[in-house]
Amino acid sequence: MKEGLIQGRLWVLTNDQGRLIEDIDTDQIYHNAYLHITDRRLMGQYALGNLAGWEDFARRAKPGDIIIAGRNFGAGSSRQQAVDCFLALGIAAIVAPSFGAIYFRNAVNSALPVIRCPAVENLVANGQLATGDEVRLSLLSGEGENLTQGIKFNFPPFSGVQLAIIQAGGLFAYAHQLEKR
Amino acid sequence: MGQTFSEKILGKRAGQKVKAGDIVVVSPDRILSHDNTAAIINEFRKLGISQVRDPEKLVIVLDHVVPASSEKYAQNHKIIREFVREQRVRNFFDINHGICHQVLSEHGLAAPGTIVIGADSHTTTYGAFGAFSVGVGRSEVASVWATDELWLRVPETIKINLEGQLPPWVYAKDIILKIIGDQGADKANYQAVEFSGPGAKALSLASRMVLCNMAAEMGAKNAYFHPDKKVFDFFQELGISDYEVVTSDEDAQYSEVINLNLDKLEPQVACPHTVDNVRPVSEVEGLPFHQALIGTCTNGRLEDLEVAAQILRGKKVHPQVRVLIIPASQKELLKALEKGLIKIFNESGCVVINPGCGPCLGAHQGVLAPGEVALSTANRNFRGRMGSRDSFIYLASPATVAASAIEGRIKDPRKCLL
Repeated sequence: MKEGLIQGRLWVLTNDQGRLIEDIDTDQIYHNAYLHITDRRLMGQYALGNLAGWEDFARRAKPGDIIIAGRNFGAGSSRQQAVDCFLALGIAAIVAPSFGAIYFRNAVNSALPVIRCPAVENLVANGQLATGDEVRLSLLSGEGENLTQGIKFNFPPFSGVQLAIIQAGGLFAYAHQLEKR
Repeated sequence: MGQTFSEKILGKRAGQKVKAGDIVVVSPDRILSHDNTAAIINEFRKLGISQVRDPEKLVIVLDHVVPASSEKYAQNHKIIREFVREQRVRNFFDINHGICHQVLSEHGLAAPGTIVIGADSHTTTYGAFGAFSVGVGRSEVASVWATDELWLRVPETIKINLEGQLPPWVYAKDIILKIIGDQGADKANYQAVEFSGPGAKALSLASRMVLCNMAAEMGAKNAYFHPDKKVFDFFQELGISDYEVVTSDEDAQYSEVINLNLDKLEPQVACPHTVDNVRPVSEVEGLPFHQALIGTCTNGRLEDLEVAAQILRGKKVHPQVRVLIIPASQKELLKALEKGLIKIFNESGCVVINPGCGPCLGAHQGVLAPGEVALSTANRNFRGRMGSRDSFIYLASPATVAASAIEGRIKDPRKCLL
């Protein structure tokens, strides 16, 4: 992630009425039937496997893709598999108006950029962010751009420590950096 | 300006005056993990550190899938037992104890004014004792095992005033379902929740645990009750007195104050597939279901089992309903046994299962088939939580579940003639 810039193809998690899906909980992201798995590489295949209409997400996603979801993404369990499954697929970022608190923390600690962006609700409703669009996000400035449609938007940038953890590659790598100083 | 409980305890432990929004680094008093300890050990090994910094702080409870239901779970448990021996973890509770939140509580490991972190989202439960307790993920726990500290953002606090008095057959579960239904599943995201007022003071410790446990379902980082004589007596009985109570100031600043009068509260039911999809029982009465569950870290304590037994005594559960009773811990099971409750459950046709999480998270002991409906005292009704993603979970109090189990359909417990 050079200078906090992320660019990738978009997946907008909408329901059959084309609306952004809210409250996607940890059981829909990563079903409890696979909680015994401890190897991250094996988790990707189950990502969103229990979300109606998105069961085949793991097969369609490519490394570098970006996800947009509705408010309160990741509500529920503290299971970190719900973050790791996206890392296993190489997902570059998840954007939502809000996240479950533990989910947000887990994601930051695992260096998965989770971007709180209330603006996406309207942008998706107006068709200004759609699956397949190419999007660029700047974690430092809090600026987003839909390159396909030529639309810009903003989000509150990360706090210092959060960005430092993400850029270091996660909580452990960050701790090692601190030790070396 | 006064401080909230969360500001005060985090400031005290960080050694600085703090306000909501500040980031502090603290050393927790207890670090809880359960069956997921196997995954945490995996992460911990990657750090290249051989020794847990302070093994006295670790609390490890096997509860999610106990006894192991498959070779993979058995292997995970084995890894955990070996690690516990290697690291000399004293507070290890094997499969013969119960659900982590109940076990940690009944051993007095969450005293007032302590900080507990846990690799489980319902770690919020210990606010019932005036502890600051938050759920985190497994990387975080592995990191804290190694460093003995973690960063926390001091949360803003929502105060919930409970006025009035609960009517008969209406319980703590109904209070928290009503609040979550009114306020939404993300109302308290990143925030603390303080329960206060005469309605809060009147609640038993077990009932306070219900509210704090389910505060997680409104997104709360932590929950809190002002510790009182009930708490002090509880710890005195355990012979624990070395704690310092931390309380909110009278003039503390809250992000919001919510008032709820309990006088006219009805039994509540959370409908599929979100916990905030709540309706009064009158609106869902008559709905048939296949399986009832009374237990879990939310409602598997003696007072819950007593209410259920009071309703089931001398009655038979509906022939088309499977009723599972899962006490929250061995201690609670023993109390229920001594009071004759287990006999009542047995005679009424319930299945009593060993203490643990049971089918609450869909791993074993009563998972649901496609199209099946469960009525449960648990805290979550997410789609697929208890098994098939095409099953349906309704959440209610033990009284509502017991009354409905006889009827085979959801029933208002106030209609039980006793």
